[in-house]
Amino acid sequence: MRGGDAAGGRHGLRGAQSERDSRDSRDSRDGGVSRDGLAIALTAVARGDEAAFRAVYDQAAPAVLGIVRRVLRDPAQSEEVMQEVLLEVWRSAARFDPAAGSATAWIMTLAHRRAVDRVRSEQRAAERELRAASMPVAYDEVADAVESSLERERVRRCLDGLTDLQRESVTLAYYRGYTYAEVAGLLGVAVGTVKTRMRDGLIRLRDCLGVG
Amino acid sequence: MRTRLIPTRLRHAFLPGVRRQARGSSLHALVGAYVLDALPEAERLAFERHLLHCEQCRNDASGLREATALLATATAVPPRPELRERTLNAAALVRQLPPVVDEQPDGARRVARLTSRPAAAVRRRPWLAVAVSAVMAALVATSVVLGLHASSMQNRLTAAQQRDSVIAAILGAHDATMLTAQVQTGGTATVVMSHHMHALVFTASGLTRLPRSRAYELWVMGPAGDTPAGLLPPGHDGMSGPMVVRQLSPGDRLGLTVESASGSPHPTSPPIVLVTLD
Repeated sequence: MRGGDAAGGRHGLRGAQSERDSRDSRDSRDGGVSRDGLAIALTAVARGDEAAFRAVYDQAAPAVLGIVRRVLRDPAQSEEVMQEVLLEVWRSAARFDPAAGSATAWIMTLAHRRAVDRVRSEQRAAERELRAASMPVAYDEVADAVESSLERERVRRCLDGLTDLQRESVTLAYYRGYTYAEVAGLLGVAVGTVKTRMRDGLIRLRDCLGVG
Repeated sequence: MRTRLIPTRLRHAFLPGVRRQARGSSLHALVGAYVLDALPEAERLAFERHLLHCEQCRNDASGLREATALLATATAVPPRPELRERTLNAAALVRQLPPVVDEQPDGARRVARLTSRPAAAVRRRPWLAVAVSAVMAALVATSVVLGLHASSMQNRLTAAQQRDSVIAAILGAHDATMLTAQVQTGGTATVVMSHHMHALVFTASGLTRLPRSRAYELWVMGPAGDTPAGLLPPGHDGMSGPMVVRQLSPGDRLGLTVESASGSPHPTSPPIVLVTLD
Protein backbone atom coordinates (compact mmCIF):
# COMPACT_ATOMS: atom_id res chain seq x y z
CA MET A 1 0.00 0.00 0.00
CA ARG A 2 2.28 2.75 1.15
CA GLY A 3 5.79 1.53 1.14
CA GLY A 4 7.79 2.80 4.05
CA ASP A 5 4.95 4.87 5.29
CA ALA A 6 3.38 2.55 7.76
CA ALA A 7 4.25 4.54 10.84
CA GLY A 8 1.43 6.46 12.42
CA GLY A 9 1.20 10.18 12.87
CA ARG A 10 1.52 10.88 9.19
CA HIS A 11 -1.88 12.42 8.86
CA GLY A 12 -2.61 15.73 10.40
CA LEU A 13 -6.23 15.24 9.53
CA ARG A 14 -6.53 11.96 11.33
CA GLY A 15 -9.87 12.22 13.05
CA ALA A 16 -10.90 10.90 16.39
CA GLN A 17 -13.17 8.30 14.93
CA SER A 18 -11.68 4.86 15.04
CA GLU A 19 -11.25 2.65 12.05
CA ARG A 20 -14.02 0.22 12.37
CA ASP A 21 -12.92 -2.26 9.82
CA SER A 22 -10.32 -4.87 10.42
CA ARG A 23 -7.22 -5.17 8.35
CA ASP A 24 -8.56 -8.30 6.74
CA SER A 25 -11.47 -6.58 5.10
CA ARG A 26 -9.17 -4.02 3.58
CA ASP A 27 -7.85 -6.48 1.09
CA SER A 28 -11.10 -6.49 -0.83
CA ARG A 29 -11.11 -2.76 -1.16
CA ASP A 30 -10.49 -2.57 -4.85
CA GLY A 31 -13.72 -4.18 -5.84
CA GLY A 32 -12.55 -7.63 -4.90
CA VAL A 33 -9.00 -7.22 -6.18
CA SER A 34 -6.21 -6.42 -3.85
CA ARG A 35 -4.81 -3.00 -4.41
CA ASP A 36 -1.34 -4.40 -4.37
CA GLY A 37 -2.32 -6.48 -7.39
CA LEU A 38 -3.41 -3.42 -9.29
CA ALA A 39 -0.27 -1.53 -8.31
CA ILE A 40 1.90 -4.39 -9.50
CA ALA A 41 0.01 -4.58 -12.76
CA LEU A 42 0.48 -0.85 -13.23
CA THR A 43 4.19 -1.21 -12.72
CA ALA A 44 4.24 -3.79 -15.49
CA VAL A 45 2.13 -1.53 -17.70
CA ALA A 46 4.78 1.14 -17.27
CA ARG A 47 7.16 -1.26 -19.02
CA GLY A 48 4.78 -1.64 -21.93
CA ASP A 49 3.29 -4.95 -20.82
CA GLU A 50 0.06 -5.29 -22.77
CA ALA A 51 -1.16 -8.29 -20.82
CA ALA A 52 -0.81 -6.29 -17.63
CA PHE A 53 -2.79 -3.50 -19.25
CA ARG A 54 -5.58 -5.96 -19.98
CA ALA A 55 -5.62 -6.81 -16.30
CA VAL A 56 -5.66 -3.16 -15.31
CA TYR A 57 -8.50 -2.56 -17.74
CA ASP A 58 -10.52 -5.43 -16.34
CA GLN A 59 -10.02 -4.24 -12.80
CA ALA A 60 -10.38 -0.52 -13.26
CA ALA A 61 -12.62 0.12 -16.27
CA PRO A 62 -15.95 -0.56 -14.51
CA ALA A 63 -15.21 1.94 -11.77
CA VAL A 64 -13.81 4.45 -14.26
CA LEU A 65 -16.95 4.16 -16.37
CA GLY A 66 -19.10 4.32 -13.26
CA ILE A 67 -17.70 7.54 -11.92
CA VAL A 68 -17.39 9.18 -15.32
CA ARG A 69 -20.98 8.37 -16.10
CA ARG A 70 -22.10 9.61 -12.73
CA VAL A 71 -20.55 12.98 -13.49
CA LEU A 72 -21.26 13.27 -17.22
CA ARG A 73 -24.59 11.44 -17.38
CA ASP A 74 -24.36 11.02 -21.15
CA PRO A 75 -23.61 7.33 -21.84
CA ALA A 76 -21.83 7.77 -25.18
CA GLN A 77 -19.66 10.60 -23.94
CA SER A 78 -18.90 8.62 -20.81
CA GLU A 79 -17.62 5.67 -22.82
CA GLU A 80 -15.40 8.03 -24.76
CA VAL A 81 -13.98 9.54 -21.59
CA MET A 82 -13.54 6.11 -20.05
CA GLN A 83 -11.36 5.14 -22.99
CA GLU A 84 -9.40 8.37 -22.72
CA VAL A 85 -8.78 7.68 -19.06
CA LEU A 86 -7.61 4.13 -19.67
CA LEU A 87 -5.32 5.34 -22.45
CA GLU A 88 -3.97 7.94 -20.08
CA VAL A 89 -3.33 5.18 -17.56
CA TRP A 90 -1.42 3.27 -20.21
CA ARG A 91 0.48 6.35 -21.26
CA SER A 92 1.49 7.62 -17.87
CA ALA A 93 1.74 4.40 -15.87
CA ALA A 94 5.40 5.17 -15.21
CA ARG A 95 4.29 8.23 -13.29
CA PHE A 96 2.33 6.19 -10.80
CA ASP A 97 4.06 6.36 -7.45
CA PRO A 98 2.99 3.61 -5.05
CA ALA A 99 4.38 5.60 -2.13
CA ALA A 100 1.96 8.44 -2.83
CA GLY A 101 -1.23 6.40 -2.72
CA SER A 102 -3.03 3.35 -4.03
CA ALA A 103 -3.30 2.47 -7.69
CA THR A 104 -7.05 2.75 -7.46
CA ALA A 105 -6.83 6.26 -6.06
CA TRP A 106 -4.42 7.23 -8.81
CA ILE A 107 -6.67 5.94 -11.57
CA MET A 108 -9.86 7.30 -10.06
CA THR A 109 -8.22 10.69 -9.66
CA LEU A 110 -7.43 10.70 -13.37
CA ALA A 111 -10.96 9.59 -14.17
CA HIS A 112 -12.75 12.09 -11.98
CA ARG A 113 -10.55 14.96 -13.02
CA ARG A 114 -11.11 14.23 -16.66
CA ALA A 115 -14.86 13.87 -16.27
CA VAL A 116 -15.04 17.15 -14.41
CA ASP A 117 -12.85 18.88 -16.99
CA ARG A 118 -15.20 17.66 -19.68
CA VAL A 119 -18.26 18.87 -17.86
CA ARG A 120 -16.79 22.27 -17.17
CA SER A 121 -15.40 22.84 -20.62
CA GLU A 122 -18.38 21.67 -22.58
CA GLN A 123 -21.39 22.35 -20.53
CA ARG A 124 -22.83 25.78 -20.98
CA ALA A 125 -23.64 27.70 -17.88
CA ALA A 126 -27.32 27.69 -18.70
CA GLU A 127 -27.40 23.94 -19.05
CA ARG A 128 -25.69 23.57 -15.75
CA GLU A 129 -28.21 25.83 -14.13
CA LEU A 130 -31.00 23.83 -15.64
CA ARG A 131 -29.44 20.59 -14.56
CA ALA A 132 -28.95 21.87 -11.06
CA ALA A 133 -32.50 23.13 -10.87
CA SER A 134 -34.11 20.00 -12.25
CA MET A 135 -32.38 17.55 -9.97
CA PRO A 136 -33.07 16.94 -6.36
CA VAL A 137 -30.19 17.62 -4.03
CA ALA A 138 -27.93 14.63 -3.87
CA TYR A 139 -28.66 12.47 -0.95
CA ASP A 140 -28.52 8.84 -1.73
CA GLU A 141 -26.29 8.90 -4.78
CA VAL A 142 -24.98 5.48 -4.12
CA ALA A 143 -28.38 3.93 -3.59
CA ASP A 144 -29.36 3.74 -7.24
CA ALA A 145 -26.32 1.76 -8.25
CA VAL A 146 -27.07 -1.13 -10.55
CA GLU A 147 -25.88 -3.88 -8.33
CA SER A 148 -25.25 -4.15 -4.70
CA SER A 149 -22.00 -5.22 -3.16
CA LEU A 150 -20.37 -5.23 0.19
CA GLU A 151 -18.22 -2.31 -0.81
CA ARG A 152 -21.16 -0.28 -1.96
CA GLU A 153 -22.88 -1.06 1.30
CA ARG A 154 -19.87 0.09 3.21
CA VAL A 155 -19.60 3.34 1.30
CA ARG A 156 -23.29 3.99 1.73
CA ARG A 157 -23.12 3.26 5.41
CA CYS A 158 -20.20 5.60 5.85
CA LEU A 159 -21.92 8.32 3.83
CA ASP A 160 -24.90 7.92 6.12
CA GLY A 161 -22.56 8.63 9.01
CA LEU A 162 -21.87 12.16 7.76
CA THR A 163 -23.94 15.17 8.68
CA ASP A 164 -26.40 16.16 5.99
CA LEU A 165 -24.34 19.16 4.99
CA GLN A 166 -21.12 17.17 4.84
CA ARG A 167 -22.70 14.43 2.78
CA GLU A 168 -24.38 16.82 0.36
CA SER A 169 -21.22 18.86 -0.04
CA VAL A 170 -19.15 15.78 -0.79
CA THR A 171 -21.60 14.04 -3.11
CA LEU A 172 -22.65 17.11 -5.08
CA ALA A 173 -19.01 17.84 -5.80
CA TYR A 174 -17.86 14.31 -6.45
CA TYR A 175 -20.85 12.74 -8.17
CA ARG A 176 -22.08 15.81 -10.00
CA GLY A 177 -18.84 17.65 -10.67
CA TYR A 178 -19.89 20.93 -9.12
CA THR A 179 -17.39 23.46 -7.81
CA TYR A 180 -17.59 24.41 -4.17
CA ALA A 181 -19.18 27.71 -5.16
CA GLU A 182 -21.86 25.89 -7.12
CA VAL A 183 -22.44 23.53 -4.24
CA ALA A 184 -22.78 26.48 -1.91
CA GLY A 185 -25.33 28.00 -4.25
CA LEU A 186 -27.31 24.78 -4.47
CA LEU A 187 -27.33 24.31 -0.74
CA GLY A 188 -27.82 27.95 0.09
CA VAL A 189 -24.88 28.15 2.46
CA ALA A 190 -21.69 30.20 2.51
CA VAL A 191 -18.83 28.96 0.36
CA GLY A 192 -16.52 28.83 3.35
CA THR A 193 -18.94 26.50 5.06
CA VAL A 194 -18.98 24.22 2.05
CA LYS A 195 -15.20 24.05 1.94
CA THR A 196 -14.90 22.99 5.52
CA ARG A 197 -17.79 20.54 5.20
CA MET A 198 -16.08 18.97 2.22
CA ARG A 199 -12.89 18.53 4.17
CA ASP A 200 -14.54 17.37 7.38
CA GLY A 201 -16.87 15.06 5.49
CA LEU A 202 -14.00 13.43 3.65
CA ILE A 203 -12.04 13.01 6.85
CA ARG A 204 -14.94 11.26 8.47
CA LEU A 205 -15.51 9.17 5.37
CA ARG A 206 -11.86 8.18 5.21
CA ASP A 207 -11.81 7.17 8.85
CA CYS A 208 -15.06 5.26 8.58
CA LEU A 209 -13.83 3.40 5.49
CA GLY A 210 -10.50 2.74 7.14
CA VAL A 211 -8.46 3.98 4.23
CA GLY A 212 -5.77 6.59 3.73
CA MET B 1 -7.32 29.10 14.43
CA ARG B 2 -11.05 29.34 14.20
CA THR B 3 -11.12 33.07 14.70
CA ARG B 4 -8.53 33.53 12.01
CA LEU B 5 -10.71 31.65 9.59
CA ILE B 6 -13.77 33.79 10.03
CA PRO B 7 -12.70 36.82 8.03
CA THR B 8 -11.72 34.58 5.15
CA ARG B 9 -15.01 32.82 5.24
CA LEU B 10 -16.87 36.08 5.25
CA ARG B 11 -14.79 37.38 2.42
CA HIS B 12 -15.64 34.29 0.41
CA ALA B 13 -19.27 34.57 1.23
CA PHE B 14 -19.30 37.93 -0.44
CA LEU B 15 -16.78 37.34 -3.15
CA PRO B 16 -17.14 33.77 -4.32
CA GLY B 17 -14.70 32.87 -7.01
CA VAL B 18 -12.28 35.67 -6.20
CA ARG B 19 -8.79 34.30 -6.07
CA ARG B 20 -7.59 34.39 -2.55
CA GLN B 21 -4.30 35.55 -1.25
CA ALA B 22 -4.68 33.68 1.99
CA ARG B 23 -2.05 31.19 3.03
CA GLY B 24 -1.44 28.58 5.63
CA SER B 25 -4.39 27.32 7.55
CA SER B 26 -7.07 28.84 5.34
CA LEU B 27 -5.49 27.46 2.19
CA HIS B 28 -5.21 24.21 4.01
CA ALA B 29 -8.97 24.17 4.44
CA LEU B 30 -9.25 23.74 0.68
CA VAL B 31 -7.85 20.24 0.73
CA GLY B 32 -11.32 18.67 0.69
CA ALA B 33 -12.52 20.75 -2.24
CA TYR B 34 -9.24 20.05 -3.99
CA VAL B 35 -9.52 16.31 -3.65
CA LEU B 36 -13.13 16.47 -4.85
CA ASP B 37 -12.02 18.45 -7.93
CA ALA B 38 -14.34 21.19 -6.73
CA LEU B 39 -11.89 24.07 -7.08
CA PRO B 40 -12.06 26.39 -10.07
CA GLU B 41 -8.96 26.12 -12.25
CA ALA B 42 -7.14 29.16 -10.86
CA GLU B 43 -7.62 28.05 -7.29
CA ARG B 44 -6.62 24.51 -8.11
CA LEU B 45 -3.35 25.69 -9.57
CA ALA B 46 -2.76 27.91 -6.55
CA PHE B 47 -3.44 25.00 -4.24
CA GLU B 48 -1.08 22.75 -6.16
CA ARG B 49 1.64 25.36 -5.77
CA HIS B 50 0.86 25.33 -2.08
CA LEU B 51 1.17 21.54 -2.04
CA LEU B 52 4.73 21.81 -3.29
CA HIS B 53 5.74 23.37 0.00
CA CYS B 54 3.36 21.64 2.36
CA GLU B 55 4.13 18.03 3.05
CA GLN B 56 1.31 17.83 5.54
CA CYS B 57 -1.13 18.92 2.85
CA ARG B 58 0.19 16.34 0.43
CA ASN B 59 -0.29 13.63 3.00
CA ASP B 60 -3.76 14.85 3.79
CA ALA B 61 -4.70 15.04 0.14
CA SER B 62 -3.48 11.55 -0.63
CA GLY B 63 -5.28 10.15 2.41
CA LEU B 64 -8.54 11.76 1.39
CA ARG B 65 -8.08 10.53 -2.16
CA GLU B 66 -8.32 6.99 -0.88
CA ALA B 67 -11.79 7.85 0.37
CA THR B 68 -12.89 9.46 -2.89
CA ALA B 69 -11.53 6.45 -4.77
CA LEU B 70 -14.05 4.33 -2.92
CA LEU B 71 -16.81 6.76 -3.82
CA ALA B 72 -15.79 6.01 -7.39
CA THR B 73 -15.52 2.24 -7.13
CA ALA B 74 -18.94 2.16 -5.51
CA THR B 75 -20.40 3.35 -8.81
CA ALA B 76 -18.77 0.63 -10.94
CA VAL B 77 -20.73 -0.59 -13.95
CA PRO B 78 -19.45 -3.07 -16.53
CA PRO B 79 -18.47 -1.38 -19.82
CA ARG B 80 -19.83 -2.79 -23.08
CA PRO B 81 -17.55 -5.66 -24.08
CA GLU B 82 -16.46 -4.10 -27.38
CA LEU B 83 -14.91 -1.18 -25.55
CA ARG B 84 -12.29 -3.49 -24.11
CA GLU B 85 -10.84 -4.51 -27.44
CA ARG B 86 -11.03 -0.98 -28.75
CA THR B 87 -9.21 0.47 -25.77
CA LEU B 88 -6.55 -2.19 -25.65
CA ASN B 89 -5.84 -1.75 -29.33
CA ALA B 90 -5.71 1.99 -29.04
CA ALA B 91 -3.16 1.69 -26.28
CA ALA B 92 -0.82 -0.13 -28.63
CA LEU B 93 -0.57 3.06 -30.66
CA VAL B 94 -0.02 5.39 -27.76
CA ARG B 95 3.55 6.11 -26.85
CA GLN B 96 4.19 5.77 -23.15
CA LEU B 97 5.73 8.45 -21.00
CA PRO B 98 9.06 7.73 -19.37
CA PRO B 99 9.22 7.67 -15.58
CA VAL B 100 9.82 10.95 -13.82
CA VAL B 101 13.52 11.37 -13.25
CA ASP B 102 14.12 12.31 -9.69
CA GLU B 103 16.14 15.47 -10.14
CA GLN B 104 13.93 17.74 -8.13
CA PRO B 105 13.60 17.85 -4.37
CA ASP B 106 11.53 14.96 -3.17
CA GLY B 107 8.49 17.09 -2.47
CA ALA B 108 8.22 18.45 -5.97
CA ARG B 109 8.58 15.05 -7.51
CA ARG B 110 5.88 13.57 -5.35
CA VAL B 111 3.46 16.32 -6.13
CA ALA B 112 4.05 15.88 -9.81
CA ARG B 113 2.85 12.33 -9.42
CA LEU B 114 0.28 12.91 -6.78
CA THR B 115 -1.70 15.41 -8.73
CA SER B 116 -1.66 13.19 -11.79
CA ARG B 117 -1.69 15.91 -14.37
CA PRO B 118 -1.96 14.64 -17.88
CA ALA B 119 1.36 15.32 -19.52
CA ALA B 120 1.99 18.27 -21.77
CA ALA B 121 1.32 16.64 -25.10
CA VAL B 122 -2.14 15.49 -24.26
CA ARG B 123 -3.03 18.64 -22.39
CA ARG B 124 -2.08 20.70 -25.38
CA ARG B 125 -4.10 18.51 -27.64
CA PRO B 126 -6.85 16.98 -25.54
CA TRP B 127 -8.57 15.63 -28.61
CA LEU B 128 -5.64 13.39 -29.38
CA ALA B 129 -6.74 10.50 -27.25
CA VAL B 130 -10.19 10.77 -28.76
CA ALA B 131 -8.74 10.82 -32.23
CA VAL B 132 -6.56 7.86 -31.45
CA SER B 133 -9.47 5.84 -30.16
CA ALA B 134 -11.63 6.84 -33.11
CA VAL B 135 -8.91 5.86 -35.54
CA MET B 136 -8.28 2.65 -33.68
CA ALA B 137 -11.95 1.82 -33.67
CA ALA B 138 -11.89 2.17 -37.41
CA LEU B 139 -8.68 0.18 -37.66
CA VAL B 140 -10.11 -2.66 -35.66
CA ALA B 141 -13.27 -2.50 -37.70
CA THR B 142 -11.46 -2.81 -41.01
CA SER B 143 -9.27 -5.55 -39.64
CA VAL B 144 -12.41 -7.46 -38.81
CA VAL B 145 -13.84 -6.87 -42.26
CA LEU B 146 -10.62 -7.97 -43.90
CA GLY B 147 -10.55 -11.14 -41.88
CA LEU B 148 -7.53 -10.07 -39.92
CA HIS B 149 -9.21 -10.61 -36.62
CA ALA B 150 -6.33 -12.61 -35.27
CA SER B 151 -6.32 -14.19 -31.88
CA SER B 152 -3.74 -11.86 -30.51
CA MET B 153 -3.38 -8.17 -30.80
CA GLN B 154 0.21 -8.60 -31.88
CA ASN B 155 -0.69 -10.63 -34.95
CA ARG B 156 -3.26 -8.18 -36.00
CA LEU B 157 -0.90 -5.32 -35.58
CA THR B 158 1.72 -7.08 -37.64
CA ALA B 159 -0.74 -7.45 -40.47
CA ALA B 160 -1.44 -3.77 -40.63
CA GLN B 161 1.76 -2.66 -39.05
CA GLN B 162 3.15 -0.48 -41.72
CA ARG B 163 0.01 1.54 -42.12
CA ASP B 164 -0.41 1.66 -38.37
CA SER B 165 3.01 3.10 -37.84
CA VAL B 166 2.31 5.83 -40.38
CA ILE B 167 -0.98 6.57 -38.65
CA ALA B 168 0.72 6.63 -35.30
CA ALA B 169 3.37 8.98 -36.64
CA ILE B 170 0.76 11.38 -37.99
CA LEU B 171 -1.30 11.30 -34.82
CA GLY B 172 1.82 11.84 -32.78
CA ALA B 173 3.26 14.60 -34.96
CA HIS B 174 4.10 17.76 -33.06
CA ASP B 175 1.89 19.82 -35.37
CA ALA B 176 -1.00 17.34 -35.63
CA THR B 177 -4.31 19.13 -35.99
CA MET B 178 -7.76 17.65 -35.96
CA LEU B 179 -10.51 18.87 -38.28
CA THR B 180 -14.05 17.61 -38.36
CA ALA B 181 -16.75 18.27 -40.92
CA GLN B 182 -20.33 17.18 -41.41
CA VAL B 183 -20.97 14.96 -44.40
CA GLN B 184 -23.93 16.26 -46.41
CA THR B 185 -25.52 12.85 -46.75
CA GLY B 186 -25.05 12.07 -43.06
CA GLY B 187 -22.14 11.34 -40.77
CA THR B 188 -19.00 13.13 -39.69
CA ALA B 189 -15.60 13.21 -41.31
CA THR B 190 -12.54 13.51 -39.09
CA VAL B 191 -9.13 14.45 -40.39
CA VAL B 192 -5.93 14.48 -38.38
CA MET B 193 -3.39 16.41 -40.37
CA SER B 194 0.30 17.04 -40.03
CA HIS B 195 1.52 19.82 -42.30
CA HIS B 196 5.06 18.96 -41.38
CA MET B 197 4.61 15.42 -42.68
CA HIS B 198 2.41 16.52 -45.61
CA ALA B 199 0.09 13.74 -44.57
CA LEU B 200 -3.25 13.11 -42.93
CA VAL B 201 -5.42 10.38 -41.50
CA PHE B 202 -9.06 10.35 -42.51
CA THR B 203 -11.87 8.60 -40.67
CA ALA B 204 -15.61 8.97 -40.84
CA SER B 205 -18.39 7.93 -38.55
CA GLY B 206 -22.08 7.44 -39.17
CA LEU B 207 -21.87 7.51 -42.96
CA THR B 208 -25.04 6.50 -44.77
CA ARG B 209 -24.83 2.88 -45.83
CA LEU B 210 -24.46 2.54 -49.59
CA PRO B 211 -25.80 -0.14 -51.93
CA ARG B 212 -23.24 -2.75 -52.93
CA SER B 213 -22.77 -1.14 -56.30
CA ARG B 214 -21.57 2.12 -54.78
CA ALA B 215 -18.62 3.19 -52.63
CA TYR B 216 -17.26 6.28 -50.96
CA GLU B 217 -14.15 7.56 -52.68
CA LEU B 218 -11.67 9.99 -51.20
CA TRP B 219 -10.01 12.70 -53.29
CA VAL B 220 -7.21 15.14 -52.94
CA MET B 221 -8.66 18.19 -54.67
CA GLY B 222 -5.87 20.62 -55.34
CA PRO B 223 -5.02 23.49 -57.63
CA ALA B 224 -3.60 20.99 -60.11
CA GLY B 225 -6.75 18.86 -60.23
CA ASP B 226 -8.39 15.98 -58.42
CA THR B 227 -6.39 12.92 -57.49
CA PRO B 228 -8.05 9.73 -56.22
CA ALA B 229 -6.94 8.88 -52.69
CA GLY B 230 -8.67 5.55 -52.38
CA LEU B 231 -11.98 3.87 -51.76
CA LEU B 232 -13.24 3.87 -48.22
CA PRO B 233 -13.38 0.28 -46.97
CA PRO B 234 -16.87 -0.78 -45.90
CA GLY B 235 -17.57 0.57 -42.46
CA HIS B 236 -18.20 -1.41 -39.35
CA ASP B 237 -19.83 -0.27 -36.17
CA GLY B 238 -20.45 3.11 -37.77
CA MET B 239 -16.75 3.77 -38.34
CA SER B 240 -15.11 4.07 -41.75
CA GLY B 241 -11.42 4.33 -42.45
CA PRO B 242 -8.81 5.10 -41.41
CA MET B 243 -7.27 6.20 -44.68
CA VAL B 244 -3.82 7.68 -44.94
CA VAL B 245 -3.21 10.40 -47.52
CA ARG B 246 0.37 11.47 -48.12
CA GLN B 247 2.35 13.86 -50.26
CA LEU B 248 -0.09 16.69 -49.77
CA SER B 249 0.66 20.08 -51.31
CA PRO B 250 -0.33 23.55 -50.17
CA GLY B 251 -3.87 24.40 -51.23
CA ASP B 252 -5.00 20.80 -51.32
CA ARG B 253 -8.44 19.98 -50.03
CA LEU B 254 -9.87 16.62 -49.15
CA GLY B 255 -13.14 15.58 -50.76
CA LEU B 256 -15.42 12.60 -50.50
CA THR B 257 -17.78 11.50 -53.26
CA VAL B 258 -20.01 8.53 -53.94
CA GLU B 259 -18.79 6.52 -56.90
CA SER B 260 -19.28 3.09 -58.37
CA ALA B 261 -18.00 0.28 -56.18
CA SER B 262 -14.87 -0.12 -58.30
CA GLY B 263 -13.99 3.53 -57.98
CA SER B 264 -13.55 6.24 -60.56
CA PRO B 265 -10.54 8.08 -61.98
CA HIS B 266 -12.38 11.39 -61.60
CA PRO B 267 -15.16 12.46 -59.30
CA THR B 268 -18.51 12.10 -61.08
CA SER B 269 -20.50 14.18 -58.62
CA PRO B 270 -19.89 17.10 -56.27
CA PRO B 271 -18.20 16.14 -53.02
CA ILE B 272 -20.50 15.40 -50.09
CA VAL B 273 -17.83 16.78 -47.81
CA LEU B 274 -14.90 19.01 -48.66
CA VAL B 275 -12.27 19.67 -46.02
CA THR B 276 -9.93 22.62 -46.39
CA LEU B 277 -6.57 21.61 -45.04
CA ASP B 278 -4.83 24.92 -44.46
